[in-house]
Amino acid sequence: MPQTTRRAVLLGGAALALAPTAGFTFERDGAKKVMVFSGNQAVPVLDPHMRYDWSTRMIQQSVYDGLLKYVGSPPQIVPWLAESYDTSPDGLTYTFHLAANAKFHDGSPVDAEAVRFSFERALKMNAGIAWMLKDFLKPEKIVAVDARTVRFTLEAAFSPFISYVPWWYIVNPALVKANEVDGDLGRKWMTENGAGSGPFKLRRFDGNALIHLDTAPGYWKGWPMGEEKRLGGVIYRIIRESAPRKAALQRREVDIITNITPDDIGQLERLPGVKIENHPGFTTFGIKFNTKEGPTADVNLRKAIAYAFDYDSLITIHNGAATLMTSPFPASMAGHIDVPNIPRKDLAKAREYLSRSAYPNGGIELEYVHVQGLEDPRRIGLALLDSLRALNISVNIVGQPWTTMVSRGSKPDTAPNMTSIYVTPVGTDPDTVAYQYHRESWGLYYGMSHYDNPEVWQMISTARAETDTARRMALYAEIQRRIVDDQPEIFGMVANRLWSMRDYVKGFAFSPVRFTGEVDLYPMWIEG
Amino acid sequence: MILPRRLRLAIFLLTRSFASMLGIVLVTVILGLALLGPVIVPYPDHVAGGIDLANKLQSPSAAHWFGTDEVGHDILTRVIIGARLSLLVGIGITLAAAAIGVPLGILAGLVGGPVREAIMRLTDLFLSVPGLVLAIALVAALGPGIVNAMIALILVWWPGYVRLADSKALSIRAEPYIEAARVAGAPTFRILWRHVLPNSLSPLIVKMSMDVGQAILAVASLGFLGLGAKPPTPEWGAMISIARGYLPEWWWYAVYPGAFIYAAVLGFNLLGDGLRDILDPRSHRG
Amino acid sequence: MDRGLTLYLARRIGLAGLMLFGLICLTFVISNVAPSDPAALAAGPDAGRSQIEQARREYGLDKPLPEQFLRYVGDLAQGEFGRSIATGRSVGTDLLRYLPATLELCILAMLIGVLVGVPLGVLSAVLKDGPIDHVTRIFAVSGIAMPPFWFGLLLQLAFATGLGWLPTSGRLSVMTLPPDPITGLMLVDAVLRGQWDVFREGLSYIILPAIVLSFPCLASILRVNRGEMVETLRADYITAARAHGVTPWRMICVHALRNAMLPTLAIIGLRWGWMMSSTVLVETVFDWPGIGLYAVSSAIAGDFKPVMGVTLIVGLNFMIASLIVDLLYGVLDPRLREG
Repeated sequence: MPQTTRRAVLLGGAALALAPTAGFTFERDGAKKVMVFSGNQAVPVLDPHMRYDWSTRMIQQSVYDGLLKYVGSPPQIVPWLAESYDTSPDGLTYTFHLAANAKFHDGSPVDAEAVRFSFERALKMNAGIAWMLKDFLKPEKIVAVDARTVRFTLEAAFSPFISYVPWWYIVNPALVKANEVDGDLGRKWMTENGAGSGPFKLRRFDGNALIHLDTAPGYWKGWPMGEEKRLGGVIYRIIRESAPRKAALQRREVDIITNITPDDIGQLERLPGVKIENHPGFTTFGIKFNTKEGPTADVNLRKAIAYAFDYDSLITIHNGAATLMTSPFPASMAGHIDVPNIPRKDLAKAREYLSRSAYPNGGIELEYVHVQGLEDPRRIGLALLDSLRALNISVNIVGQPWTTMVSRGSKPDTAPNMTSIYVTPVGTDPDTVAYQYHRESWGLYYGMSHYDNPEVWQMISTARAETDTARRMALYAEIQRRIVDDQPEIFGMVANRLWSMRDYVKGFAFSPVRFTGEVDLYPMWIEG
Repeated sequence: MILPRRLRLAIFLLTRSFASMLGIVLVTVILGLALLGPVIVPYPDHVAGGIDLANKLQSPSAAHWFGTDEVGHDILTRVIIGARLSLLVGIGITLAAAAIGVPLGILAGLVGGPVREAIMRLTDLFLSVPGLVLAIALVAALGPGIVNAMIALILVWWPGYVRLADSKALSIRAEPYIEAARVAGAPTFRILWRHVLPNSLSPLIVKMSMDVGQAILAVASLGFLGLGAKPPTPEWGAMISIARGYLPEWWWYAVYPGAFIYAAVLGFNLLGDGLRDILDPRSHRG
Repeated sequence: MDRGLTLYLARRIGLAGLMLFGLICLTFVISNVAPSDPAALAAGPDAGRSQIEQARREYGLDKPLPEQFLRYVGDLAQGEFGRSIATGRSVGTDLLRYLPATLELCILAMLIGVLVGVPLGVLSAVLKDGPIDHVTRIFAVSGIAMPPFWFGLLLQLAFATGLGWLPTSGRLSVMTLPPDPITGLMLVDAVLRGQWDVFREGLSYIILPAIVLSFPCLASILRVNRGEMVETLRADYITAARAHGVTPWRMICVHALRNAMLPTLAIIGLRWGWMMSSTVLVETVFDWPGIGLYAVSSAIAGDFKPVMGVTLIVGLNFMIASLIVDLLYGVLDPRLREG
C-alpha cells in the first residue's frame, strides 16, 4: 500500500527518537575534544568595544578578559585581570591592582597601560558598551599609576560602576595600533580578529556560519577542570531554525544548543543521552503602554487592560518555564520586592476601571507591536487579543523590524499603543532597571512608555548616587511600588533560560546576568 | 450567436484533457471553500482571535481533522479561511495589475513614438529584476501586512500586462481593417473598444488565470519569509513560516497549509494551460 | 561582424546600462521609504541618544537624501556597496563572500534542470497523450505551482530527519574545512584540490536545495523540448518515413534536439535570472549561506544596504542573462535585429 509507506516516512520524520543516532562522535583536534555549540544568532562583529548581544558577547568573553568577571547564580563579581580594587570613601576613585601573570595571546603582559588604552578606546568609539560609563568617566581621568595599578576617577559618585566593569574587555594595544587604518582605532581589523588574553584564541571566523576557537594553551588563569580534561577548542555553529538545530543535537553533530522553544522541552527530555538546563531568567518581558498619547494615556484604561490580561497564558505559552513578575524588577535583582496588589486577571476590576476611563464601552482598536520574527511575543499578542475581547477592545498585532519599532517608540506621537519589550539588565545593580523609568530614558527602546512622574525620577537619581546600601534599597522599594501604581506597562513574566546538551557535556555554569542563550564557555569540558 | 458556440467548443475541449479537468476541479474546490468557508468551518472563533492554549499542538483527530497549532487553533478552520484570503488576494493582485498594465500597454501600442518608448522603458526596468526580490525590498520598507504585500506585488506585476497589451495593440494596428477604420474617421476610442480589446482578450484571460495562481504563490512566499499577513490572519505562507519551528514533531502544521497552496496554484495553472491550448494555440511555447 | 549586429549590440548594452541606473534609483527610493531609523540600529540596543547621533553622522545619515544618493552612486562606481547599518561591515565584502555559494547552488540546479528536463520532454512527446504524458504535464505545471519553501521542508522531513540519509541544512559539517578557494565554488575547488571526501560531503549538503531550486527550470525545459519533439514527429519527412514502416529515432532525436536548442537556451537564460530570485526562499529553508539568506535576514532586521546590494546583483545578473539570450538570438536569427 503506497499510502501507508508515505505516511510511514512522514511519521518516521515526526518521531525524532527513531532517527539514527549512531555514526557521529565528538569532534576532535589532536588528542583534545572540541565542543560544538549551536545557536540561531550570527556574530557579525567581534570587536568588544563596538557591539554586544548574546552570541557576540559569548565569543568576546571567550577571547577577552575583563578586570572583573560575573560568575554563578546569584551572580557574583569575582576578580579576574584585577586581583583586587579599592574604592575611595567619597565613591569617586577606584584603584585596580592587576594580576602579575596575565598575558595576551602573543605573550605580552596585560599591564595598566593596556587597561587604560582599552577603556579609552571604548569611550572614544562611543558605541556598544560606552553608554554604561561615558557620563561618569572621562578618558583623561584614567591613569596607569604603575605597570600593575590603574586608577579611575569618576565625574560624580556612581554606585553601579563596579557592576559594569566586567563587560569592559581589555584589548592588546600593540596589536590594535599595528592594525590601525586611517585612525579607526583598529576597528576594521578588530571586526574579525581577536586581540585578547582570554581562555580561547580565534582560529576561524565566519560570523554568519561558524566560529572556531582554540583553547589558549597555558592560559594565564589556568583551567578549572585541569589541563588533562580541558577542551581542544569550541565551535560556535549558527543554525537559524530550531528544527534542524534539534536534529543536529539528536545526531550528535552538535553537543549543546540554545534558542529552544518551550514546546521542545518535552520532546528533548525524552531523548536518551540528552539533558536540559532550565533556569529562572533575568530578562523581563513587559507590554509598554504609550502613556503620553492616544487612549493608553488614560491610566484607567491601562489598569483595565492590565486587569483583563490573562497572565496564566504567559505561563502556558512557555509550558511552565516562566515566572510572573511581581514588580518591575526581576526577582533575582538586588532590592527586588513583591509589590502587593500587582494586577492579575480580574474581569470585574477591569470593567470597573474601564467604566472610569474615556471608553466605558470599549469599541477601540489598539496596536500591539512586537519585533518581527519573534515567536513568543507574537503568541502573547494573540493571548492579549483574546483577553481584551472581553472589554470590547480589539488588538492589531504588528510585527516590525527592530529599527522601525525603536524609531517609532522614540517619540510619544509615533509610539505604538502597546509594545512588547524584553530587557536584560546588563548588571546586577537595581539602577540598571530603575533607570528605564527615568526621564533620561525617554526615546530609548526601554523608555517607550515615556513614563512621566517627576517624583519617581527624583528618587531614581537620588538612589544611584546614594552610597548607604540600606537607604538605597528602601528607595528602590518605594520606586517599585510607585511604578506599579502608575501602570506604565503590563508587567509580564521572566522566561526561563533553556539549553539542551548531550549528557557528556560537563561544567555548565548558569549565571542569570548573562543574556538569554549566552554561556560562559571557559569552565566547560567533555567527559568520556 | 458566435460566442456561445465558441464557449461550448472550449468547454468540450477542456473536458477532454485530463490535466485541464484536474485544474477545473481544483479551482472549483478552492472557490467553493472560499465561498462557503465561514459557514462550514468547525471553529469560526479561531479565526476571529479566540485562542485555546489548553489544546495546543494536538495531532489530527476527529475533533481536529488537521490537528491544532501553537495556540490551539484548529488548523482545518484556518486553512479553509485561508483559501478565501488567498483567493481574494490572488485575484485582487491580478486584476489591479491588469487594470494598470493593459491600458498603458494599449496606449503604448496605439500611440507609439516617445510615449511608447517611455512606457516600455519603465516596464523594462521593472521586468529587469525578478519580482520576488523587489517585493521583499518593498515590503521590508513598507512594513509587513497583507495590504502592503499586495501593494508590493501589484507594483512588480503590472509590467507583464503592458508587454502583452502593447504587442497585441501593435500587431492589430498594422491590420488593414484598422487602417481602413482610421481612414474612415473612426475615433481612436472606438477602434480600441471594437477591435483591440476583443482581440487581446484570449491571451489576457490565459495570462490572468495563470497569474492568479502565481500571485497566490507570491503572497505565500512573502508570508513564509515573515513579510506577509499579520497574526491572527490565517494566511497559508505565514502559517508554514511559524510551523517550521515545530517540525518535525508537529509535521501536520506545515504540511496541510502547503498542500493547499500547491493545490490552488496547480489548479489555476492547469486551468490557464488548458485555456491557452484552446484560446491561444499559437503561443504554445515556454 | 556586420554593422547591423554592432548597432544592435550597442543599443542593447546601452539600454542595459540605463536600466541599471534606473534600478539603482529604484532601490534607493525603496530603502528610504521605510519609517525606521537606521541610526538606532547602527548604535545598538542600549545606545543612548548621543551614540545614536554619532552613528547617524558616521554613516552620513544626517546628510540630505540627494547627497546620500550621490555618495551611494559614487561608492557603487568604485565597486563598493556601502556599509551594513546593523553590522558596520562592508556590503561588498559580504556579497563577495556569499555570492559563490549562491552561484554554486544555481549552477548545479541548472544542470539538474537540463539533464532531467530534456529527456523527460522527449519521452513525454513520444508517448504523447498517454498516461505518462499526462503525468509529466502535471509534473511540469507542478514545477511552477509547488511552493519551493514547502517542497524543501518536505524533502528535509523525508530525507534528513526521517531517513537520515542527508544532512538537513548548511554547506559543510562543522569540522570539515572548505578547500582553499580557487574558483570560490566549493565543489569545484574540492575537485581541483583532489579533496574527494570534501566533495562527497559537499554534495550531500547541496543536493536537496539544488533539487528544489531546479524544479521550475526543469519544468520549463521539459515543456519546450516536448513541444519541439511533437512538431518534429509531425514533420512531413518523418510521416513519410513512418508510412514506409521505419521510425528513424536517431534522426528524430537529433532534429528535435537541434530545434529545441535555441528555445532551451532562451529558457536557461530566463530561468537563470529567476533562479537567483527563488534562491531567496530555498536558501532560507536550507540555511544555505548565500546572498538570498543574506538579503532576507537583512530585510527582516530593517538593514537596507544589503538588501539593495543583493537586489542590484540579482538585477544585474538578470540583465546580463537576458542580454546574452538576446545576443544569441540576434546572431542566430538576423530578422530580430530590426526590433
